[in-house]
Amino acid sequence: MAGLPRFSASLTSAAVAPVEGFTPPTPRIAAIRAKLLSTPYSICLERPKLMEEFWSSREGRRSAKLEHPLVHRALTLQYIFSHRKPRIYDDEIIIGNMTSKRIAANYYIEGGSINILEDFARLGKRTIPLKLTIQETAGVLHLGLKNAFKSVGAKALLKPGRLSYFLDFFRAKRHFVTEEAGIGHQVGNYWMVVHEGLRGPYGEAKQRLEEGRLADGSRLDADQRAFFSSVLITIDGIRKMAENLAAEAEHLAQMKGESEQRRAELLAAAAACRRVPFEPARTYLEGLQATWLIHMALNLEDFEQGLSFGRMDQILLPLYRSDVELGRLNTGQATEMTACFCLKTCETMPLYSQRVDQFFSGNGVAQAFTLGGTDEKGNDLTNELSGLILDAYAQVLTREPAVHVRIHPATPEWFFQKSVELLQMGTSRPSFFGDTAVVRALQEAGMTREHARDYAVIGCVEMASQGRTYNSSDAALFNLPLCLELALNEGRRFHGKARIEGRRRFGAPTPPVSTMKTFDDVLDAFRAQVRHGVDDMVKVIGWLEEVYRTIRPTPVNSILTEGCLETGKDVTWGGGLYDYTSIQAAGLADAGDSLYALKRIIFDQKRFSLDEFVGILQDNFRGREDLRVELASKLPRYGNGDPDVDHMTQLAADAFSDALSAHKNSRGGRYVPGFYSMTCHIGFGRVTGALPNGRPAGRRLSNGLAPVDGCDRMGPTAVLRSAASLDSRKWMNCHALNLKFDRQIVQGKTGRKALVSLLKNYFALGGMQVQVNILDTETLKAAKRDPASYPGIVVRVAGYCAYFNDLQPAVQDEIIERTAHGIT
Amino acid sequence: MVSPEPLVFSLQHFCLHDGPGIRSLVFFKGCPLRCPWCQNVESWKAGSEIAFKPALCINCGTCVRKCPEHALAEVGTRDTTRCRGCFTCIDSCPSGAMTLFGVQRSPEDVVEELRPEFSLFTTSGGGVTFTGGEPTLYPDFSARLARSLRTEGIHIAMETCGFFDLKRLRPLLRELRLVLFDIKIYDREQHRQMCGADNTVIKKNLKALVEAGSGQGAPAVWPRLPLVPGLTDGQDNIKGWAGFLRSLGISFLTIVPYHPMGASKRRWLGLPAGPELRVPTDAEIQTAGGLFSAEGIMTYKPGEEPFPEDSIGPAQGLPRDLPGAAHDRRVEHRGLPTDGHGPTGLNTPR
Repeated sequence: MAGLPRFSASLTSAAVAPVEGFTPPTPRIAAIRAKLLSTPYSICLERPKLMEEFWSSREGRRSAKLEHPLVHRALTLQYIFSHRKPRIYDDEIIIGNMTSKRIAANYYIEGGSINILEDFARLGKRTIPLKLTIQETAGVLHLGLKNAFKSVGAKALLKPGRLSYFLDFFRAKRHFVTEEAGIGHQVGNYWMVVHEGLRGPYGEAKQRLEEGRLADGSRLDADQRAFFSSVLITIDGIRKMAENLAAEAEHLAQMKGESEQRRAELLAAAAACRRVPFEPARTYLEGLQATWLIHMALNLEDFEQGLSFGRMDQILLPLYRSDVELGRLNTGQATEMTACFCLKTCETMPLYSQRVDQFFSGNGVAQAFTLGGTDEKGNDLTNELSGLILDAYAQVLTREPAVHVRIHPATPEWFFQKSVELLQMGTSRPSFFGDTAVVRALQEAGMTREHARDYAVIGCVEMASQGRTYNSSDAALFNLPLCLELALNEGRRFHGKARIEGRRRFGAPTPPVSTMKTFDDVLDAFRAQVRHGVDDMVKVIGWLEEVYRTIRPTPVNSILTEGCLETGKDVTWGGGLYDYTSIQAAGLADAGDSLYALKRIIFDQKRFSLDEFVGILQDNFRGREDLRVELASKLPRYGNGDPDVDHMTQLAADAFSDALSAHKNSRGGRYVPGFYSMTCHIGFGRVTGALPNGRPAGRRLSNGLAPVDGCDRMGPTAVLRSAASLDSRKWMNCHALNLKFDRQIVQGKTGRKALVSLLKNYFALGGMQVQVNILDTETLKAAKRDPASYPGIVVRVAGYCAYFNDLQPAVQDEIIERTAHGIT
Repeated sequence: MVSPEPLVFSLQHFCLHDGPGIRSLVFFKGCPLRCPWCQNVESWKAGSEIAFKPALCINCGTCVRKCPEHALAEVGTRDTTRCRGCFTCIDSCPSGAMTLFGVQRSPEDVVEELRPEFSLFTTSGGGVTFTGGEPTLYPDFSARLARSLRTEGIHIAMETCGFFDLKRLRPLLRELRLVLFDIKIYDREQHRQMCGADNTVIKKNLKALVEAGSGQGAPAVWPRLPLVPGLTDGQDNIKGWAGFLRSLGISFLTIVPYHPMGASKRRWLGLPAGPELRVPTDAEIQTAGGLFSAEGIMTYKPGEEPFPEDSIGPAQGLPRDLPGAAHDRRVEHRGLPTDGHGPTGLNTPR
């Protein structure tokens, strides 16, 4: 643990003095954390094996043939829940294993996990090695190949007339449709789980079936009956999973050699699992345990991305307060329990091949807490538990969970200070959300003000009114600057490989540049390309969503989403009260800067004809390095508080927002935009030609809402001003704005005060979201050279945090290079 | 002749170590001292300077081709005797490798560029710090700029080397809330050798400013010492300054550790390399702090100073003493100090 930046000493000793107001981890937390950090990653085959086992059983064959798809799916899930082996690890007080290994990716044969087959021959030698036995490796291959054609992606796309879409999907140039892997991304109704228990929806479903009618009196059809049955079956499975865990804990408590204290802890955990999540939780511990069990069920149901906890500082507060009042819980114990809960989130990871990892580097899952914020009337709700959860995270400082704080004009000063103090510890947590802008965007997307004010963050930055929303957020990522390349070349890439792409036009047949006389002509062509790209993407997503309804419905998710029990519909069938599909655009600043450059150089200054200039771009500035450098370094850029360029960025964003909002998703919900890029800006960048802003072909695109790297010439205050000046009303799915600060600049009390002021000012200007990396370049360079000595450095990549060592070298370089504010 | 108005060579935002809160820095060009550890050597000469940043150069040769005086034999080498300062090389350079230090700006223009930062000054208790270079070389301009800012309620501080004519500074001082006063080498002779000027004036000015107190129309004074190993961290130097500060009733000081940022700037400007200096270690900073505290002087890191209450907080929106305003208008057209020669052989800055 020698290289851990701040907490190395604390890991070995509990007697270390508090680090600036935060208490060091307790020995228990230190021990679990150390164990997790030294555990190799693996793949868990338990889930697919159980699925196969069920499908080949008599009951499985029967249900596949005779039952409604919803019921068959629920029975499959029930089988997984009730047959998986419970595993309880040393020192844990919140129990429930995510997979069969300490840290592993679940192998979701219905979707994206199969991409790992691309790496089959080198699992142990990848940038992020996966440790598997020979038998397991064989299992990965066997299960993957066997199910490759049954996956959602294959079922949706391997059909006559859809082959070009399949190739498009696989090559990921225009867009990357992540929905193929799974939908995930949810903030369930944990208030119900904790305070009412699953007994509520269970009773409701039973009553509906008995009455044969919905609550509004209308008769159930076959699909609705199947849905309510699926609810009952699924809840039975979850109960069984909890009971199995309880039995295992009781069993361990009987083992010889366990200390009295450990015995008591195990029995407490067992008692909790005997009760929750079916019955309401009575204590803080039960509340956490109930949440964790449901979180496990969600992870096992669909896939792992973006499954989030919501506003835990509100949901658990009544339990916390009553425990404290009754004298059965003190702050230290509650912090330790919460830290234990946080560490449980480290047990899972996604499964990406090296190819896919270019787009989503960092092994992020983003299981998010949302803290602070207001009630439905706008009154501040920040409380002692908001602070305590920050304390708990400060003890673990791991990649998971994600921690988000809501900022509004009445956010108490102590909470703001404490959040920034946590940020200063170097894990880039928490990230900050401006209630004013977020609530406005959610209302714009159709939510009531009250529901919008009860928002919680899904995963990285995406939005839900907690427990009321089905947001297939992050369904796809979209390459925005490529649309400009296509617009300048009649819908073809500058250097598309004829062998692969054929003579097929990649985009819309927009007019040749020789006929474009004004900047508006260019803008029209750009918009047409964006629309065309969005149309194609939406088509693919529609086919996928169609397949989901039959082979991959999600009853757990539906139980946790308001609207489903009322309408008798699974979320994949459109049961959610609010329904969205959201797409993120990458490369916004590159698109905006390029539009600006075109307008200025070609149409205002008339230095080249458009034809001539496009020729230069097609040649990737060959022989014109002087022009490229001039465009890149001398023209005004987005991110410097210059209204003219920022306006072009707005135009680029609007082109995307407008194209998307013209569509409805297959469930009748809205398409909504967001602006962040995971690490897709790197993957997309590789396949995007030269741009008018001087970006050479192949270079990474700008990240999320951030300016192009190195083009924020006026410092962070101007970046925030530019970002806040953009109209974010249509951005229901938010954005990611990365700011990086050198630790030297923002350390200590002075740095804290300055950061608080900076962020306050940003949100007062209407800012929506910002996330901050505090690190020093030297440490990162050293970590890149010698990863073994720096195992625990957490950096923020896009909307999510990652261990620096897990990142692809190109992403590591980006983090190192990204303007370190304050260094001249 | 230098320009009738001073040149500004940079406006920098989000600065946390030059006074309270979040600040923007206005860098004035021109300095009467030549300290070898200077981080801002581009501030030394009062006139504009052409600099060359080799790291940015793409070797396109545009500057060589475009120079009407043929003053550039090759990229990066400029014959200063031929150069007339038309700045064609800078305008035509695509990469920014050819850079101009020092642009003439009106106070109004500077205020407008700073304006977007105003709300941040208010939230953070920050403001604007005049630095350089030496803002006191331009008492009239500085006073005008300061007045415009103060009427907008902006807190103004100034960093100075202390080598100035106090009499001419009174209108400026009335606008300031805080003076960060650099002290360097205590011994007079050594100071003259090292920094190129006698420090008698500096000590006298420090004394006078402190004695004026932070009462009506006078800013608070806070001394700072650049800590350069082997040059300013000697026992004698520290004891000398500590005694002097004590005699003025000052019990605090900021230690600014040396940073070798000036080294690359010297190369850009074609200046000979400075002496070999090194960054003080944490231990050396602590030792210096210990020596000061033994003498009754508390030391602080830049940005962590507990500035006196009356030197922080937002400025009063209205001028503090109206007669001063009238006085200001009178002094507006006084002549400015000149150093008589174009620093780079350029005599007509844009």
